[in-house]
Amino acid sequence: MSETELYKGYREPLLSIMKKNGVVVWSEIRAKTTQGDFEGLLLPRSETSDAEHLVLKLTSGYNLGLRHDVIESMEEIGYREAHYKVPEKEFPFDPAKPKVKLFGTGGTIASRLDYRTGAVIPAFSPGELYGSVPELADVCNLETEKLFGVFSENMGPEEYLVLADKCGQAIRDGYQGVIIGHGTDTMHHTSAALSYMVQYPPVPVVMVGSQRSSDRPSSDAARNLIAAARTAAYGNIAEVLVCMFGPTSDRYNLLHRGTRVRKMHSSYRSTFRTLGDIPVAMVNDDGVIPLKDDTKPRRDDRNVDIHAVFDDRVSLQYYYPSMKADVLDALIDHGYKGIVIAGTGLGHVNRLVYPALRRAHEEGVVVFMTLQTLWGFVQMHVYETGREILQLGVVPLANMLPEAAFIKLGWSLGMHPDDPEAVRQLMKTPIAHEILPREPHDGYLVFQGGVPEIKDFLEQEWK
Amino acid sequence: MTQNDTRNHSVLKPPDDINPNPDAALDFDECSWSAMTEADYAELGFMAGLEVHQQLATATKLFCRCPSGQFTKDCDAEVLRHMRPTLSELGEYDGTALMEFKTRKEIVYRLHRGTVCTYEIDDTPPFEINEEAVRVAIEVSELFDLNLVNELHVMRKQYLDGSIPAGFQRTAMIGLAGSIPFRVPELGIDRKLRIRQLSLEEDSCREVSDLGHRVTFRTDRLGIPLTEVVTEPEFLSPQELQAGARLLAQTTRCCQHVRRGPGAARQDVNVSIAGGRRVEIKGVSHHRGLPRLVHIEAFRQLNLLRIRGELIRRGVSTKAFEIEDGGLAWEKSSLVLDASSLLSGCDFQPLRDALDDGGCVAAVRLPGFGGLLTHRTQPGVTFAAEIAERVKVVACLTGRPFFVHSDIIGYGLHSQEWQQVRKALRATKDDTVILIWGPDRDVDTAAREVLLRAEDALAGVPAETRQSFPNGTTGFERILPGANRMYPDTDTPPLALPPSWHERIRAHLPERPWETEDRFVGHGLTLDAARRLAKAPWSKLFTRLVITDPSVARTVESALQKRLPRRLRGSDGAALPDAKRLQPWVDAIADGSLRSEAVEVALDQLLVEPRLTAEDLLNSLRPHEGDERALQSLVQRCVERAPTLRRRDNESVIRWAMGEVMPRLLGRVDPALVRQQLRTALADQLEEVQS
Repeated sequence: MSETELYKGYREPLLSIMKKNGVVVWSEIRAKTTQGDFEGLLLPRSETSDAEHLVLKLTSGYNLGLRHDVIESMEEIGYREAHYKVPEKEFPFDPAKPKVKLFGTGGTIASRLDYRTGAVIPAFSPGELYGSVPELADVCNLETEKLFGVFSENMGPEEYLVLADKCGQAIRDGYQGVIIGHGTDTMHHTSAALSYMVQYPPVPVVMVGSQRSSDRPSSDAARNLIAAARTAAYGNIAEVLVCMFGPTSDRYNLLHRGTRVRKMHSSYRSTFRTLGDIPVAMVNDDGVIPLKDDTKPRRDDRNVDIHAVFDDRVSLQYYYPSMKADVLDALIDHGYKGIVIAGTGLGHVNRLVYPALRRAHEEGVVVFMTLQTLWGFVQMHVYETGREILQLGVVPLANMLPEAAFIKLGWSLGMHPDDPEAVRQLMKTPIAHEILPREPHDGYLVFQGGVPEIKDFLEQEWK
Repeated sequence: MTQNDTRNHSVLKPPDDINPNPDAALDFDECSWSAMTEADYAELGFMAGLEVHQQLATATKLFCRCPSGQFTKDCDAEVLRHMRPTLSELGEYDGTALMEFKTRKEIVYRLHRGTVCTYEIDDTPPFEINEEAVRVAIEVSELFDLNLVNELHVMRKQYLDGSIPAGFQRTAMIGLAGSIPFRVPELGIDRKLRIRQLSLEEDSCREVSDLGHRVTFRTDRLGIPLTEVVTEPEFLSPQELQAGARLLAQTTRCCQHVRRGPGAARQDVNVSIAGGRRVEIKGVSHHRGLPRLVHIEAFRQLNLLRIRGELIRRGVSTKAFEIEDGGLAWEKSSLVLDASSLLSGCDFQPLRDALDDGGCVAAVRLPGFGGLLTHRTQPGVTFAAEIAERVKVVACLTGRPFFVHSDIIGYGLHSQEWQQVRKALRATKDDTVILIWGPDRDVDTAAREVLLRAEDALAGVPAETRQSFPNGTTGFERILPGANRMYPDTDTPPLALPPSWHERIRAHLPERPWETEDRFVGHGLTLDAARRLAKAPWSKLFTRLVITDPSVARTVESALQKRLPRRLRGSDGAALPDAKRLQPWVDAIADGSLRSEAVEVALDQLLVEPRLTAEDLLNSLRPHEGDERALQSLVQRCVERAPTLRRRDNESVIRWAMGEVMPRLLGRVDPALVRQQLRTALADQLEEVQS
């Protein structure tokens, strides 16, 4: 074993103390200290924690830290190295059940704990998944493929392209549904990308994740995964969807369109919301219950249009008062080909930015307007500012969400390299409900807590 | 296998649940706890330990900024959750976890905006740990002389019963391996009480109701910081346990920053007897009921061991009860029968109702259990009830009853129906048959649980968590969780505890009960009196009084002990006098100017006459000029009134006369002198009265 492994995470002054006393990580030790004796398993130290403390796991399961300067001596009395292995049980095959493909991107879909170290070990193979969410076997025949090992925030164009191609392949291979396990932070970016790249799929393409990691008993992971499997196997919606908790309670999941969904709370289970419209369906133990009637139904053919292209020379700029032209100039200077602005109100920026907008237009850099308000339509004819900005070549994107617009712009530039006009046209053409013709009255519902009618509602319904 | 596997030689093991003493005598005679001697408990191999939970009086909760200690039954909204077990190291579920999952409970949390935020319902990660709570926990650790950790690591301890919405409790080790003096002269105890550990953790929810598959919790208490002090299991009798509980409570309360009032301190008791296993009894709020509670538990374990002994004698083995997972119990085991059609004509109403509601009835044969289900395990509780309460908790059956068994003759089914069921199950006369009814899935769970409990009967005492009832008996709550349910909280970084904190806390550490006792002994009190005083509400008052002489200390302590309880009763302690008020009284005792018979009356008057100065009151109880004259006139009056007394003996007459004279001259004249004068003056009268 290498020295790094033997003293995993420990630096000076503890490194020398460990060596002097002949103990390494996984040693069961008895430590004499100025504050009494301690017995426990010497655990590796996290690299991000300080260098001052030694971590012991007691037989009671508790961990504690001993500061280097209280340690008088340590004696190895035993040795117990932990091994990470997820128990596998063969995923049962039932010819009567649909075949579903699950792609992993690196987020933890299911996992189990190593109680000795507290490490969370991802479970991913069908056998591992069956070991932790056995209910999946009641829904479908599941096959899995791990595509990447990246956290949600590190997902980007490169991964979008692979995912789109893999979806196409799975569809052509005859799977009756596709599930993509994904971290939640950028799930709505990826879902938008797949909405443009995987067009007219014959089966559901369902993205799923969890807000509470699956090593905790109250996790939403298993329920999300089961609902996603149900949607992929039996749902009659052949679109790119996000399947996550509806309310924070364990009641039902919602199916959101990939371009209309957004993560709206940093930690709530019910963080994903459809904006400017309603979700397409609910999923509960009984199955998929449609909420909208304009969804594309499942088909028997294996045809799908895969457009796996992306030009990453795009940026999303969140406008702020006093923003200056230099910010956009810098993007143009660095060769960016497209910019999405999230503007104020109906789609505004201040005059200080105008020269950069003019320059962008002249140099073939396409600029689009979306809204910081997230809900509502860009309306650049109402105020003079809007009309001025339009004249500078900025294209309004109706009620497209800023992130959906940003992803669409990268994709459009990939579809039409060096053709700004074609990009502008494609951006204005709805592909997957990223632009809606109308906003229903209940497409915008951010309840105001504290007012009497909402109090009543919560008392009766928020259960 | 990696090459390091060969290096593995683990020596550290978690504390065992099995009682280490040699097996108890199964023929031990059962008797009430007051009739048991220490030797009797030693013969049983009785062992007990305590876990004392004490809420801390911090302004906010442990991991969020919600106010701590605000309680309400109001509810603004509810959240519904389920708990899933997470796999343990060997790919197996923890016993408790599996049990809780089997129950398929819907868990409802009632929220009130004033007392909880999104943290408590596990929709927001924890904020940084409440430093005030950490400091108080360190102080309590110091009170117990524990070895303190230098860096605090927050752990997650799994609870799947729903009492914590996250499914785990955040908890951190503060101190380990301490001991405090354990002196109880009346029980002949004078040794060290070893404290295993003290942890700082968040409090759980309060159960509102638990009906069928739905359990409802109130969340106001959730997240309040509390310390958990765990003793080694070294209490060897119920009385010792009670004394220990009192000592722990008294020690913890030395800290000014712990919460008081109902529910602020709760304890769990771990009990076992030889051959038994550790059973944890939860939520005992009074020390008074402890001895009876653990006494009953000791005999419950003995009774279970007797049942085990009998089963072994009959050659029953655990193998008989094995059943594989999946499918329905009656398809998987020959011991279980779906008796729904067999009993379709049954007129026993509870069973009838279940069938009419579309449910089923299962019959379970327990080979070799014949006659054992009526064996008593606790006062008024039979072994059948032990099985039924576990089945009820796990399978969530709600029928009343949901269960009958063949050891009770003439109840439930007609004898012909019993015969049919027995025949279908091929039951012999050595077997017991249990019938369970309700919804199909629940009956399936229940039938499997009956087999599991029967299997456990061969182990004797299952390691369980039990809840205590007011009559001293206990009921099944859940299977005792294993040690492997603890893992680090990835949401909170380790917190280094600076030495300066410890130093400051040590410098201001309050005096501990045994230190107070020692100080009082130093004043001249006996150990008994010192212990009594240390526990008394006027302990601090006594401390503030300037007393230099041991005999004065004894007089003062005794007077306070005799007179104050009556004064304080009903006035919630607020009426304790100021030390300044009592100091002249102490001084008067010390300089001999207050006669001993006036000491207590003087104290009474100081308490009830706040408008009179201490000096005036004390003066009225000291000798005055003219006392001689007053005595003579009072004696004379007695002489005059004595003839009116009828049929009294001499001693009564003197007592009456003393009662007439002394209150008016208390402290001013020597009672012996008064008595002598009365005897002389009444000499003639006494004769007369006698005749």
